[in-house]
Amino acid sequence: MMDALRGRSELGVAALLGVVGVLVAVDASGLDAGTAQVGPVGPKVVPLLVAGMLLVCAVLLAVDVLRGGQGELEAGEDVDLDQSSDWRTVLLLVAAFVANIALIDRVGWVISGTVLFWGSVYALGSRHYVRDAVVAVVLSVATFYGFYVGLGIALPAGILQGVL
Amino acid sequence: MNALNSLMDGFATAATPMNLLYATIGVVLGTAVGVLPGIGPAMTVALLLPVTYSMEPTSAFIMFAGIYYGGMYGGSTTSILLNTPGESSSVVTAIEGNLMARAGRASQALATAAIGSFVAGTIGTALVVMFMPLVARFAVSMGAPDYFAVMLLALLTVTAVLGASRLRGFASLGLGLAIGLVGIDSVTGQRRLTFGQAPLADGLDIVVVAVAIFAVGEALWVAAHLRRKAARTIPVGQPWMGRQDWGRSWKPWLRGTAYGFPFGALPAGGAEIPTFLSYVTEKRLTRHPEEFGKGAIEGVAGPEAANNASAAGTLVPMLALGLPTTATAAVMLAAFTQFGIQPGPLLFDKEPKLVWALIASLFIGNALLLVLNLPLAPAWAKLLQIPRPYLYAGILFFASLGAYAVNLQAFDLVLLLVLGALGFMMRRYGLPVLPLVLGVILGPRAELQLRRVFQLSGGDVSGLWSEPLAVVIYVVIAVVLLWPVVRWLRGLRRQAEAPDVVGAPHPEDTSEVGHLTGTGGRDEQ
Amino acid sequence: MTVVVLGYAPGPIGEAALDRAVAEARLREARLVVVNSSRGDAAVDNRYLQEDEVSELGGRLDASGLRWSLHQPVRGRDAADEVLQAAEDARADLVVIGLRHRSPVGKLLLGSTAQRVLLDARCPVLAVKAR
Repeated sequence: MMDALRGRSELGVAALLGVVGVLVAVDASGLDAGTAQVGPVGPKVVPLLVAGMLLVCAVLLAVDVLRGGQGELEAGEDVDLDQSSDWRTVLLLVAAFVANIALIDRVGWVISGTVLFWGSVYALGSRHYVRDAVVAVVLSVATFYGFYVGLGIALPAGILQGVL
Repeated sequence: MNALNSLMDGFATAATPMNLLYATIGVVLGTAVGVLPGIGPAMTVALLLPVTYSMEPTSAFIMFAGIYYGGMYGGSTTSILLNTPGESSSVVTAIEGNLMARAGRASQALATAAIGSFVAGTIGTALVVMFMPLVARFAVSMGAPDYFAVMLLALLTVTAVLGASRLRGFASLGLGLAIGLVGIDSVTGQRRLTFGQAPLADGLDIVVVAVAIFAVGEALWVAAHLRRKAARTIPVGQPWMGRQDWGRSWKPWLRGTAYGFPFGALPAGGAEIPTFLSYVTEKRLTRHPEEFGKGAIEGVAGPEAANNASAAGTLVPMLALGLPTTATAAVMLAAFTQFGIQPGPLLFDKEPKLVWALIASLFIGNALLLVLNLPLAPAWAKLLQIPRPYLYAGILFFASLGAYAVNLQAFDLVLLLVLGALGFMMRRYGLPVLPLVLGVILGPRAELQLRRVFQLSGGDVSGLWSEPLAVVIYVVIAVVLLWPVVRWLRGLRRQAEAPDVVGAPHPEDTSEVGHLTGTGGRDEQ
Repeated sequence: MTVVVLGYAPGPIGEAALDRAVAEARLREARLVVVNSSRGDAAVDNRYLQEDEVSELGGRLDASGLRWSLHQPVRGRDAADEVLQAAEDARADLVVIGLRHRSPVGKLLLGSTAQRVLLDARCPVLAVKAR
């Protein structure tokens, strides 16, 4: 049963390929070949080729998956493929990431980076709350100053403007 | 000789205090990430792309080269000293190396690995030096059809030859090309795939794509499948070798180099085959066969040399043709793009100083690695005690920081997340990553050349094969693409002639190390 | 049958705890459950017994004449959690752990396994210091 489900989930990939292919084709067809065209191969050609390739791949992949073919999961040193995916960890990591996106321009990198790091470490299983918080703050502050002094990039200070 | 002069100039550039500092940073970082499981040189270079944006390209590449070679040194340290080596990148070294360590000969194993790597790296880099002028001679005479053909070759080779499933390779390439299309068409100035979003008008920054695919995608994937383990490192003193060890090592070093370099230089190669071939050869040629399986030094010397020589060999197609055969090479290509440098045959013509300085710093980096790693190997092993949550949280932290720093726009972080999710999905469903990255890097350039060809030929398709070099390349492409079809047909015929035989070799068989059949074209795996 | 659970890690404190646990189990004619866990977060964990150390420990425990079993869970959980879990699963009558001295700052930053076991265990806990 799991295999049949997994087979079906890879159809999602085929669907994605199909959707992207359609998007590219639609966008390309809306291009006006008009006045600025230089040469016989205009801005539409390659997008349409790419869209065609994507759609062909989408169909062939769907066929392959339905016939039982399967993409190989990528193995690695730290990867244990015998267990099923740990979605909870991944979703928590994504949540920490999104928190950073939402906060970085509002409250500044120091705070949002701390949230990102601490959230990620928590998601990955560490339960040393205080130690992790200290490390997170140190990293955020250090990179804040480091980027400014070393690279001339001023990360947003947010609500800590004036303090930093 | 002109090449020698250029190389000397390269040394002069690479040996400035600033660049030596960068080289040192590079080899230290490279060794560190080589030791640590899960992080590799490709991910590290990707994470450093945003940081190096404001650096001199030469200095940045010197650092990247250090990371590249350093990764291999670090990997062999781990595979020798970790008492349950598992799937480390230097798996073949681990076979005999780990056994040597358990038998109390860890020092010798580390020494032979480090010195062998140095020898192989130096010889390999010297071979690269020999090849570069040949490339230069070709490059000057190339026109638009040739460039297009070369890029097409790069795209198709990476897609169709590397990786287990061609179909998925092409799917990945398609996605990469689509990503590359986003933005303003360079010829007509029209917006493509921007969907009315202003930030997309500049296109998707290759740095964001590289960081997303190599760092964020990888981190999320590992996080979903973290392998929990608790091993021990075998204690070791200073690496050193006795006279007998030297005597037994030097020939395997040379043989390993001879295996490694060609395989690295060939697009279908890689490091797995030459290291395995070296191991098998050393086993057959050794005067101490009883030691194999208990810790034979030849079994470490040969494969390690092969590994490093293969890495040097990979640089030949990368620098000469813009054809990356490993993930690290692909990220370095992205780095070229970031600096506005065009990879490919013209690289040598337009930026000779950069290339020669890079090559010179490879020599320097190799020497630095030997000096750093020989005495410090036991210290490097301590890095293995860092808990993985910190490592992977750090990766996501630096990835976000880097992506944001590129444009100081939160939008890039959204892109990072979306593309990172794509990277995750690709690893989950076996879509190889290299074609996508290459599609993003080379797609727009190839399109430019294609349109130029048609401009020059006035719309005539035969313009594509109007130059002799282009014709040669197309023939090569045809062979590469049709080879598996030929094999498949031959397999069918064999099946028809001998119906009781189980049938043509299945792709799964070729992935088992013991079943290599020695055919030159390896298109599975 | 009465059960004594021991949270064990190599080192002088662990040895002291082991000796005491064996003594207690003999006293109560209990069986001994030894827990040596690792979070598995780091590639190298020096507190986790490797194969040769396991055999050595097994030999010593055999010599003690007790019924014993060794659990080595590696599933991302704290040592305290693993010891508490084992105690609950075996319905232990006594838990024995080693006690390491931690300064207040150390406890804040690094946490205290012993403290958690002491507070959360359902049975008496014997905390042993190194000799």
